[in-house]
Amino acid sequence: MTPPQTYTARLEEKVQLNDKFTQYSFELIEPHRLKFKAGQYVSIKVSTQGERRAYSICSTPDNDHQFDLLIDASPDGLGVQFLQSLEFGTEIEVLAPMGHFTVPTDLTADHLVFIATGSGVAPFRSMIEDQLRNYQDQRQITLHWGMRQATDLFWLEEWQELDENFANFHFHPVLSQAPAAWTLCRGRVTDCLSVHPRPTQAAYFLCGGKNMVQDVTKLLISLGISAELILTEKFY
Amino acid sequence: MTTQDNTSNQQPGKYKVTVMRDKCIGCASCTAIAADTFKLDDEGISTVISQEGDDATKLLAAQSCPTGAIAATDAKTGDPVWPLSE
Repeated sequence: MTPPQTYTARLEEKVQLNDKFTQYSFELIEPHRLKFKAGQYVSIKVSTQGERRAYSICSTPDNDHQFDLLIDASPDGLGVQFLQSLEFGTEIEVLAPMGHFTVPTDLTADHLVFIATGSGVAPFRSMIEDQLRNYQDQRQITLHWGMRQATDLFWLEEWQELDENFANFHFHPVLSQAPAAWTLCRGRVTDCLSVHPRPTQAAYFLCGGKNMVQDVTKLLISLGISAELILTEKFY
Repeated sequence: MTTQDNTSNQQPGKYKVTVMRDKCIGCASCTAIAADTFKLDDEGISTVISQEGDDATKLLAAQSCPTGAIAATDAKTGDPVWPLSE
């Protein structure tokens, strides 16, 4: 892994994905290139007192002159307030790359199962696209993504595009408060996992709420999945 | 709150750092930033191995901990440096 260092980056674009989620794009100024692995995160200085917040990178490593972040505005904490206050062109201080939540190159699994709730999908956007487009990974890759309501979902065109262009990618959104017309999975991600066939030689990547990570880990262990094949992002 | 300070008898820097074990999630951000100061123990929890490292780096590691599990104090006075007092 590349050791973290301090970067200056400039806010380039904000895309409001829906009422809760916004995608921020930052252009790197100095150094102007960031070498990172899909799944890693950045630590942003969000106050003059030195307070920092961690955010997963949702863009792919081949685009090394910028990075994108997915921000859930609903917690309305210090980090969200800092980012929402940024004007275009404002420079920020970032420590990157951080974290070890990546797809190991020596992973023996023949199926990669990504399980997220809420903004936990952010690193998976980077990891899944990186595996499919940049590594031409031929293994089965499945994303189970839990949200409350259909209006919470975003990046649907992007997931749909991957689903159409890569036969080995499978996208399963699951809603806990699904409308009557919803024909896909309902309930929690654990319900979604029980509906779909369980792969035999799979590695599981979990990112999202603490309870979800605990519940899914417990479920997978009870199903005989080795703990070594369950990888979690710990800072969420 | 339990803390861990496995420091040697080396001359400390300006800041003394401690890890609050019950807050640490083992994400290793501190070891990535300040490898001479922190390492993960057998339980995957960060532990302090030396207070000798560069003070700015130690403070940055504390500030970058996503769970606020690292405290920094003035080594001479014991006054808290990080986290910020309310």
